Amino acid sequence: MSDIVQLFVSGISTGAIYALAAMGFTLLWQTTGTINFAQGEFVMLPAFIMLAAMNLLDVGLLSAFVISLVVSMVLLGAAFKRALVDPMAHHGVLPLIIATIALGIFMKEAVKTFYSAEAQPFAAFAPEGAMRIGPVSVSIENIAVLAVAVVAILALQLFLQRTFAGRCMQAVAQNRESARILGVPVERMVLYTFLINAALATLAALLVTPTYLAKFDNGESLGLIAFIAAIVGGFNQMRGALAGGLLIGLIDNFTAVYISTQYRHAIPLILLIVVILFRPQGLFGRAEERRL
Amino acid sequence: MADSNIILRTEKLVSGYGATTILHGASIAVREKRITTIIGPNGAGKSTLFRAVFGLLPAREGKIMFRGEDITGSAPRALLRRGLAYVPQGRNLFGELSVAENLELGGVSLGSLALTRQRMGAVFERFPALKLRAGAQASTLSGGEQKMLEVGRALLLEPKLLMIDEPSIGLSPKLVGDVFALLTGLRDTGVSVLMVEQNARAALAISDDALVLQQGRLALSGAASEILDHPEIGRLFLGGGLKRA
Repeated sequence: MSDIVQLFVSGISTGAIYALAAMGFTLLWQTTGTINFAQGEFVMLPAFIMLAAMNLLDVGLLSAFVISLVVSMVLLGAAFKRALVDPMAHHGVLPLIIATIALGIFMKEAVKTFYSAEAQPFAAFAPEGAMRIGPVSVSIENIAVLAVAVVAILALQLFLQRTFAGRCMQAVAQNRESARILGVPVERMVLYTFLINAALATLAALLVTPTYLAKFDNGESLGLIAFIAAIVGGFNQMRGALAGGLLIGLIDNFTAVYISTQYRHAIPLILLIVVILFRPQGLFGRAEERRL
Repeated sequence: MADSNIILRTEKLVSGYGATTILHGASIAVREKRITTIIGPNGAGKSTLFRAVFGLLPAREGKIMFRGEDITGSAPRALLRRGLAYVPQGRNLFGELSVAENLELGGVSLGSLALTRQRMGAVFERFPALKLRAGAQASTLSGGEQKMLEVGRALLLEPKLLMIDEPSIGLSPKLVGDVFALLTGLRDTGVSVLMVEQNARAALAISDDALVLQQGRLALSGAASEILDHPEIGRLFLGGGLKRA
């Protein structure tokens, strides 16, 4: 019983990190029509920026995170939009997808060449150890990761649902033309989306890297999981991405323990096939609508 | 027509989509505080004219003047602030958002949520049915209510000129009457209305002026009653089968 609770907590905690990446992915798709196949690398790179900041500037993890957040929002947010998405967007969805794949490869190889091909240890932001809740003991790190991710997800939801800027972003996602006709500053809202995605990816990097270590090819599995989580949950629903991420995190952890660690990477793919076969619109998706 | 009471004028406007040119030098003049209806066959460029004026399509050549100022190339946001509003054809609501949230978005170019809220009160007064459904998702409204919400959303900015494309599409005859009554009501409070309408006879009947577009150019303009009684126009554009005596 205690094992199951522990697994559940660690599964939800891993899943919450996946959800951050998946929600950013969905947000980009909805407001801009960008399917970002470099999303995994968008989580990998901020980890190396944090490492570089800690090593070169000799700052602590928190300062390194803030530096990485700013750099990522500039590079993976604004510059990504201006230099890659804007020029490619009018060529259609597919050329843009291919461009993001190329960008992902470029980022991966650049980190490998200019930083290291070896996995780098990465400091956890929470203390190690376990805490007892009644009869079960759970990892403090898991709880801390979960807490940070939940706060971030709630903040994002509050921003989208309760603020005027958030509703303008929803308007852009639902009907860009109508939003423009009403005078919604569409370009600015699109920029916000890219900045939010970069911020979510940086946060995911902070939370996931202590477990996976910082490695140039971390993005491969992370990007795939974010993509699958978004599809499984329903491509056009933010809460779908959240649910998809959590679900994959849980399945991942339970598979590793009860079936085999060798199969853990196959499980999300099997889940993807099952969902596409039996519920192609995703768990939460409905045809022809978008919701942030 | 004296320039002083012209609210919107296009001069030799050329525009279209991609490589396709739809407007081949359209020059129109719209008078203030009137209802003006644009008629013409499909593909004459009626909707394209609206989209070009509203900055959604580039003006490749020519000039657009609104209230005496050159607005050629201006973005929708700037035009809304100058008093030009546009209600396009079809469904333009954010179906997932509530009626109130849709209205609120109509005020985005006002730059003040307080002012938007205040104006929303006036819109709700004009459309009590919307007030009753303020919290409902816009997609759950009836077709007529949705059109009212779109118009209400445009009126939030208290425009000087409302451009409305095919307001009667998909509405029952009774609701079409309501929409036209709304437009005449607006005209009577000093708002200029420029309309494209499939239901040309009914639209001309409530209009002051009419413009006839043909192949991307102005073919004819005049009082709506004259155009309505024009035998050739009647045959060409108002339904050939219904020959008027």
